[in-house]
Amino acid sequence: MIHLMIFLPLLGSLLLFAFPRQWREEVAGFFAALTLGLGLLIWRGGGAELFSINWVPALGVTYSVELGGASLALALVTAFMTLVAVVYAARRVENPGTMLSLVLAMETGLLGIFAARDLVLFYVFFEDALIPALLMLAIYGGPARMRALVKFGAYTLFGSLLMLLSIIGVKYYGGSPTFALSDLVQHPVEGPAQTWLYLGFLAAMAVKLPLWPLHAWLPDFHEQNHASGVPDVMGTLYKVGGYGLFVFALPLFPDASLALRPVLMGLAAFTALYAAWIAFRQTNWKRLLAYAGLSHMGIVALGIFSLNETATVGALYLLAFQNVYTGALFLAVGMLQERVGSLDTRVGGVMTQAGALGGLTMSLWFASIAVPGLAGFVGEFSVLLGAYQVAPWLTFVAGLSTIAAAAYALTAFQTTFWQGRPPGGVRVADLRQTEWLVLGVPLAVAILFGVYSAPALNLIQPAVRGVLSTLGGT
Amino acid sequence: MLTPPDVALAPLLPILLVLAGAVASTVLGFHLPRRTLTYLNLALLVLSGLSMALLWSGPGEVPATSFGGGLQADNVAILLGLTLLVGSVMTLLVSLDTAFRARVSFPEFDAMLMYAVTGTLLIAFSGDLIVMLIGLEIMSLSSYVLATLQDSRRAEESGLKYFLLGSAGSAVLIYGLAFVYGATGSLGYAGIAQAAAGLNPGNLALLVGGALLMLAGFAFKVALAPFHQWTPDVYSGAPTSVSLFLSTVVKVAAFAGMLRVFGGALQNAPGWAGVLQILIAATLIIGNAAALFQPNFKRMLAYSAVAHTGFLAMTLLGTPEVGGSALSYYLLVYTLMTAAALAIVAALQRTEAGMEISDLRGLYYRHPAYAAALAVCLASLAGLPPFAGFFGKYLAFQAAFQNGYVWLSVLAALASVAALVYYLRPAMLLFMPDRTPAREYAHGQRTPTTLTVALGVVGVTVLGILPNLWYGWVSNPGIWQALAGR
Repeated sequence: MIHLMIFLPLLGSLLLFAFPRQWREEVAGFFAALTLGLGLLIWRGGGAELFSINWVPALGVTYSVELGGASLALALVTAFMTLVAVVYAARRVENPGTMLSLVLAMETGLLGIFAARDLVLFYVFFEDALIPALLMLAIYGGPARMRALVKFGAYTLFGSLLMLLSIIGVKYYGGSPTFALSDLVQHPVEGPAQTWLYLGFLAAMAVKLPLWPLHAWLPDFHEQNHASGVPDVMGTLYKVGGYGLFVFALPLFPDASLALRPVLMGLAAFTALYAAWIAFRQTNWKRLLAYAGLSHMGIVALGIFSLNETATVGALYLLAFQNVYTGALFLAVGMLQERVGSLDTRVGGVMTQAGALGGLTMSLWFASIAVPGLAGFVGEFSVLLGAYQVAPWLTFVAGLSTIAAAAYALTAFQTTFWQGRPPGGVRVADLRQTEWLVLGVPLAVAILFGVYSAPALNLIQPAVRGVLSTLGGT
Repeated sequence: MLTPPDVALAPLLPILLVLAGAVASTVLGFHLPRRTLTYLNLALLVLSGLSMALLWSGPGEVPATSFGGGLQADNVAILLGLTLLVGSVMTLLVSLDTAFRARVSFPEFDAMLMYAVTGTLLIAFSGDLIVMLIGLEIMSLSSYVLATLQDSRRAEESGLKYFLLGSAGSAVLIYGLAFVYGATGSLGYAGIAQAAAGLNPGNLALLVGGALLMLAGFAFKVALAPFHQWTPDVYSGAPTSVSLFLSTVVKVAAFAGMLRVFGGALQNAPGWAGVLQILIAATLIIGNAAALFQPNFKRMLAYSAVAHTGFLAMTLLGTPEVGGSALSYYLLVYTLMTAAALAIVAALQRTEAGMEISDLRGLYYRHPAYAAALAVCLASLAGLPPFAGFFGKYLAFQAAFQNGYVWLSVLAALASVAALVYYLRPAMLLFMPDRTPAREYAHGQRTPTTLTVALGVVGVTVLGILPNLWYGWVSNPGIWQALAGR
């Protein structure tokens, strides 16, 4: 079943072109829903066990996949947001066949990333998620997409190739027979080599996460993507970075992560504050959201680098649900752009004519700036609580970003949705049909998991304990 | 007392079949149309491949040899030989469509091509330096002619440049060969490998000198920097089907020779590896940096061929077991993806100068299949999984890394980032919507070319998802231990 869940979207994306043009939306929706359904079935069954066969025996590359704990939570969120994106894209993007196909192809890459328990397999899925993202940008992107594209591609590959070298090194220096995670953990690399390999690994994850100073691709990437926000929902690749650090980097490089903890936590805290500061100055909604996401990822990184249980649980919680509300916000921005014709944050007065759009956007922003009772709060609070026990001052610095978040989010919201409507502005329609679902369901999820966090915590907590126990636990 | 020479026909058969095609094209060219000859040659190439498969020696079997070990049909030779045949078949298929437009559609083209293939097979099957050299010269001389065959100033210029630099390279190589003979008293790979183990210092210096001269000679042939300068001009000046041949088959053959000489005969000789790693570093930097700034797509592919030389040569730094298997996997993949990409250029270009990168904009909306195929080739060239180029690059990194060349691996990783940028630009332009009139040759999409492209794309995808299909064969360490012959 787990293989079906991973490869079903890819199958759908290839089959999509076999269907007549007017059915493609339904077919894509069917595949996305089926994938989510499979994910829920796996959840009900208590996760999918580790499945491992040799892929390239001569190289020691295995096909090992497992969906349980944190990876299942992230996979479910990905499947859910894919469905939302498909439903939205079907209505919003004209002639959506190619876009839907790319969305589904990317889902396979992302699910594969979360399921992979073999380093080379992880790398393969890691890069595979990149190709549809690049194509979305190329086909649907804005006028300056070539620059954004090259930047995005170059940054990502720069990191991942260093990671590839680290992957080779981990197996070679550790003397493990295969690249499967379980084998690698039993054959750890000792001494200074571990630090160097960790740095190579970190390069890839820091680009995806992204961590200052490797974040420069992110705002351009989001700004140049199609205005509907659909590619952004899929392209919120940064969930991959934090996850990769947690699943692979911590168990494989325990000493190095302990040794580098202060530096990395400092970088993370700086990223959080720095991004929030820049977000404050943005006048383009997409850039604003990109920087807001970057700021949140700083908090996630802070939690993971702290090696503290509470903080790591919080980081993964944030990672999972940040995708829900930030993704929905990207779609909300797409709706705004459809109505007003601009992504500027100083449109003014949209609320008077499109109350529901404004209300839902604001509620989603509340989730994003960690208002209690919404999913964002659980994550951010746990991170700050846990990290405080490790590095109080750095946590204080990072904590400032939550204040900054309220400032940038509410300012932008105020200038767009409230204030006076400029004279001569077009009449703004309110939410229609499926748009209610597209924004409402993610919000409902954010509320549900803000109030009742047990189901997600039950998935994440054991996984975190398992990983941190290998470190000797702090 | 005279002993009759040791001539066994079985290991010669694959070469003789190709030679028969060359002779037939020369003689029958007066009576038969060129297309008939091309079909005949294709059939002979396939037959040659089949005869190679029959020569495959299982575990424990002694490979067939001829001329007292001067020619050996061991599994290495067969693996490399099959790769050479794949490239040759793809060249011939493309030439069926484009030779007429390129004004090289006469039997001599086929004859020269088949002579060149004969030479490349001789290199792959060589058991001593003389056979290797004969093969190399047959290959080179035919390629000089192929590059000049088209009646145009650009082709003449590129052919002359190729000839002058190529013969200088050959001269250096022969000089090195003489040194090696002088130092070891043997021309056979096995003999050299044996003698290299215990040499007195004077002879050792001679051996090192010879190895370095041979390295320089080979560097000319495979286009390692700083001996690469002929490549972009020749590849972009020659007709595209010829560029395809030169950048795949000829390069594979030159690497086969390098593998035989440096991986086998001179494996224990000191010195050459240190120089080679500097050459590789220079190639990676120069090749990738220069490709970044090419506005012409065909020229960019030429520089990308130079850059790939750097990655390919990294495998020579590994141990024969790791490096040899990596090289033979990579060479097949490289042949498939480069040949498919150049086949598309050959089909869609308006003139033999190739196409500008900006001309590719929106190709997806005009020739969807070719555009998607080209994108796959470019992704594979860039080393993105799940295409086979990824495993090729991975194996090359691994071979160098495990033998202690860590800094070179890091440099190669950084060079790959530059590579991604120049492969990405055309690949993404293909998909960008475009409203200007098409700038490519409208009737280029034809069955044989499509077949070639499909062969390349399917091969690259299948070998990427299931690398074991080919790597399982080449990774058997047993076949690499006998690289130098016995």
